[in-house]
Amino acid sequence: MTSRKLSLIVLTVAVAGIAAAVLSQIGLGGSGKVQIGTGKVSALSRAGRTSDALPSSVLSYPFAAHNFASPDGAGARLVKTDGSLELYAVPGKSGMVCLIEVDDLAQTAGGACADRHVLLTGSIYMADRQEDGSRQVVGLVGDGHAYAEANGRRTSVENNVFVLPEVEGSQVTIGSATAAQTIDLGD
Amino acid sequence: MVQVGSSLLRRRALAATFVAAFALTLVPTAGAESQIYWWQHNMAPGEQGFSRTTAHNHTYNELYFGPNAGWRSEVWEITPAGYRHFDKDCVGNCFNSHPGYYYDYPYCANRDSSTHFVNDCMDRW
Repeated sequence: MTSRKLSLIVLTVAVAGIAAAVLSQIGLGGSGKVQIGTGKVSALSRAGRTSDALPSSVLSYPFAAHNFASPDGAGARLVKTDGSLELYAVPGKSGMVCLIEVDDLAQTAGGACADRHVLLTGSIYMADRQEDGSRQVVGLVGDGHAYAEANGRRTSVENNVFVLPEVEGSQVTIGSATAAQTIDLGD
Repeated sequence: MVQVGSSLLRRRALAATFVAAFALTLVPTAGAESQIYWWQHNMAPGEQGFSRTTAHNHTYNELYFGPNAGWRSEVWEITPAGYRHFDKDCVGNCFNSHPGYYYDYPYCANRDSSTHFVNDCMDRW
């Protein structure tokens, strides 16, 4: 192989690599780069109510000690009730924000805590695999997000949270009136 | 004679009660056993932490990266026969609490494309 041919191959590979990198940044396969809002969660700022108190069972989990800003869950807000499902936003340690789900009927609870910077480009979510293979996705988003959508079904964001039942596939779109972000749920 | 015997019986019953109460304090609370099955080391993309020593009727599974978590994670359980249950994907630190319906093994995984330090994965049954 001549050095000229070798140079051509190297050049082609380099150009292809640069093109792939550029395309991924403008949305073909990339996600989470579009920014919406400032990451603020206004639901955490509203006046507290008795119903905002987290169940004692949740406070007893190691997860609470690991993640919550206060061991008693101070600052938590009940942000959505959907049937027997209750969603709480909770201030976390070191700038984290937490989303907690409690279903008394199913006797289940779950939680996700992440750095609040995640809210600039996406959601702090949980996706629970159902017996039929679909997933129930609940997510916390920053101010400015108006909707969440999957499989052509759109739901409104209220109090910084959304609930999407029976999600097929691995993507959820969240957005405002002017921008959208793609959440990759994984396989 | 009858009074002496009755008094002795009362004292023995009282002593037995104390011994039983003390013994109970040494017994772990039923259903509250736990273990840490991943402890303070890096987890590569897609790598799984798990405990397959003994299956239990698990009620709790948690993955804790640390206070800087901001990427995808997953906790789930698998029965000895290979059936997957209580599968939860999260962003950041994650837990799943549920009834102990299945006799199974706990799993946790880093679902980001980069390696991350995991403080611990722990389960309860």
